[in-house]
Amino acid sequence: MPSFVMYLVHTLFPHDVLRPTELGADVMIIATGVIIFYVLTKQKKWLYLWREWLTTVDHKKIGIMYLIAALAMLFRGGVDALMLRTNLALPSTPVIDALEYNQVFTTHGTIMIFFMAMPFIFALFNVAVPLMIGARDVAFPRINAMSFWLFAFGALLLNISFVIGGSPDAGWTAYPPYTGPMFNPGPGENYFFLSLLIAGIGTTMTGINFLVTVLRMRAPGMTLMKMPMFIWSALTTSALIIFAFPPLTVALAMSLFDRIFGSSFFTLGHGGLAMMYVNLFWLFGHPEVYIVVLPVFGIFSEVVATFSQKALFGYSVMVISIVSIMVLAYGTWVHHFFTMGAGPGVNAFFGLSTMLIAIPTGVKIFNWIFTMWGGRIQMTVAMLYQMAFIPTFVIGGATGILLATVPADYQLHNTYFLIAHFHNVLIGGTLFGLLSGLYYWWPKMFGHKLDERQGKWAFWLFFWGFWITFGPQYLLGLKGMTRRIYTYPAGFGWHTLNVISTLGAFVMGAAFVILVYNIIYSLQHGEKDLTGDPWNGRTLEWAIPSPAPEYNFARIPVVHERDAWWDMKQKGQTLAAMRPEDMRTLELPKNTPIPFLLGFAFFVVGFGMTFEWWYIVALGAIGVVATLIYSGFDYDEHKHIAAEEVLEIEAGLGRVQG
Amino acid sequence: MSQPLEFRPEAEDAVSDEGEALRFMRPHFGEEKFPWIQIWGYIGSLVLTFAALIMVVDHVLPPLALLSVILALAVGQAALQLGVFMHLRESRGLAWQIIFLGMVLLMAVGMVGMSIWIMTFKSGVS
Repeated sequence: MPSFVMYLVHTLFPHDVLRPTELGADVMIIATGVIIFYVLTKQKKWLYLWREWLTTVDHKKIGIMYLIAALAMLFRGGVDALMLRTNLALPSTPVIDALEYNQVFTTHGTIMIFFMAMPFIFALFNVAVPLMIGARDVAFPRINAMSFWLFAFGALLLNISFVIGGSPDAGWTAYPPYTGPMFNPGPGENYFFLSLLIAGIGTTMTGINFLVTVLRMRAPGMTLMKMPMFIWSALTTSALIIFAFPPLTVALAMSLFDRIFGSSFFTLGHGGLAMMYVNLFWLFGHPEVYIVVLPVFGIFSEVVATFSQKALFGYSVMVISIVSIMVLAYGTWVHHFFTMGAGPGVNAFFGLSTMLIAIPTGVKIFNWIFTMWGGRIQMTVAMLYQMAFIPTFVIGGATGILLATVPADYQLHNTYFLIAHFHNVLIGGTLFGLLSGLYYWWPKMFGHKLDERQGKWAFWLFFWGFWITFGPQYLLGLKGMTRRIYTYPAGFGWHTLNVISTLGAFVMGAAFVILVYNIIYSLQHGEKDLTGDPWNGRTLEWAIPSPAPEYNFARIPVVHERDAWWDMKQKGQTLAAMRPEDMRTLELPKNTPIPFLLGFAFFVVGFGMTFEWWYIVALGAIGVVATLIYSGFDYDEHKHIAAEEVLEIEAGLGRVQG
Repeated sequence: MSQPLEFRPEAEDAVSDEGEALRFMRPHFGEEKFPWIQIWGYIGSLVLTFAALIMVVDHVLPPLALLSVILALAVGQAALQLGVFMHLRESRGLAWQIIFLGMVLLMAVGMVGMSIWIMTFKSGVS
């Protein structure tokens, strides 16, 4: 028996999870857990948590849960970033050693892409898409909840790796042969592959869900060319997800087979082809870039029209360009590995296809500028992010064109120039856009605005922090500093620029702290949104109260024009003066614990497989199959809200005549 | 000045109103008491998967023949998944299916074909 215990202790807590940083994190995790447990018990909120949140299928609540998870992951990814930057500012006295540095940049990248950017996007999809198209929920509410819980338990699996068993350390791209069992023993990479596989199932289901929602659930009269641009971006993003995730799933599963079952898909010997992993990974990875940036184009299209008080310039051209970006996104993946040496023909083709994407993107940039032209611009926080996005993204795009030039790429590949480029588009594009959307839709989620003055502080610190961090990194790349090094010799002339870059990272850290303070402050003191239309909006989500009632629309309006709510306001119409006889009994999806249990069962499978404990895997697998079978025969999935109850709720909100 | 607001008619809360002309586009769903088709489809998909696995693991055929056979099994698997689980036969008419299937074919052939082209670097000059 004691030998069994010793085995467990050695497996779960090897020496690389017993470093001071990990032990400090252990203390914080346990302390936070105890506080949460104490507060929930003291306030008797466990049942409330279960009934209202963990079992919910309401897209608005799922959106809020995605948002909370995304902000928590932004914190973790950000702390990782500060650790990396601190090390690089102190090359002669590294704070963390090479192994820990590898683990930290791996989790930084993985978390920021898969567990921060993607859930943040799904948060805004969930919150805004059904409301914008005049729907009562997404097409498959239960699958939506399953997607969330698969993501959440996948994220949990990756996040426990650094305190139980050891983190992955092969970078967010996890290239073989380094991920093979020969070079990388231990559970770290198993955690990586399994958590992404589990979260990936959820992501694929989200893609299917929103594709069907947009195609099938629109209010009558809302033809495809009358949809808001954000809905177009949800449609194209969903299509990208559906086609891009299978190659990733295959690549991850085959890598896992190589590790656990001794196959040799990507090994160096036995006929394995390691570069095939790279090919499959970027077959996913390039569309993924657009998965995280197209929704942001949609957000900016809504924000710029609303705060310029003007219809979006060149709507049909915007639609054509977003669809062509979607198609072109599948044809550029080799530019991530030009240096593999596939030959001049292949490289020239993919260099050109990459440059081609700049054309529709440029068209979009000009259309946003022309939307502002002659408009009455309101400098809200959401609009500030939009205005910062345009120059930042243009520079990020231009350096991308430099990298797409094959001969230049042979010099710049894997240097800090590349690091600066992709942070330029991912922070200047994705993060600025997501924060813009956060400020824009916050009133719709919570019924109050975020404080604008604090928001502007956070904005300016993010903006300058970003440039102070990544401006010097372009220069470092040109000076030959490669990525993924934990220290460098003195006398290379890299030190000053690295110190400046690190200062910038801490400025962004301060911006994050202000953002969190802004959220907490505004929960108490934020300006209440009583009309449901705080920004004088243009699309249907602003026609209903904030926060939206459970059923969204008491009656679903018929749409006649592109900016449906703006058009209604021009005609003097409102959804806030319903007649009692207009009310109808509504059918809504019913809460269910199945998605949560399914996610938990998958977590058990993932955890068991990470350590190759097959009895635990079997236990989890039985849970997965049992949950799915039960769900398949569970026909009691709807509830009704009586017309009288709808009337009562709407009257309580002051939205009924007489 | 103010015009009355139109709402979606109640009947629509159940089914959308396509015009008479588009009647053939209306969805028709197969409903059965017990999902036998799906159960057989599930067993069939497992058989196809394990057949491919075992043939490769045990090297039952010379490489070229083996590749041809597992490719044929993959096509069968795709047909089975589309027919049984993607409800290809219970649809709003063929017009929509052809657009999407065509796109799927284009993407699949594009991805596979281009991957083969890219990976020829092993034999070609680089």
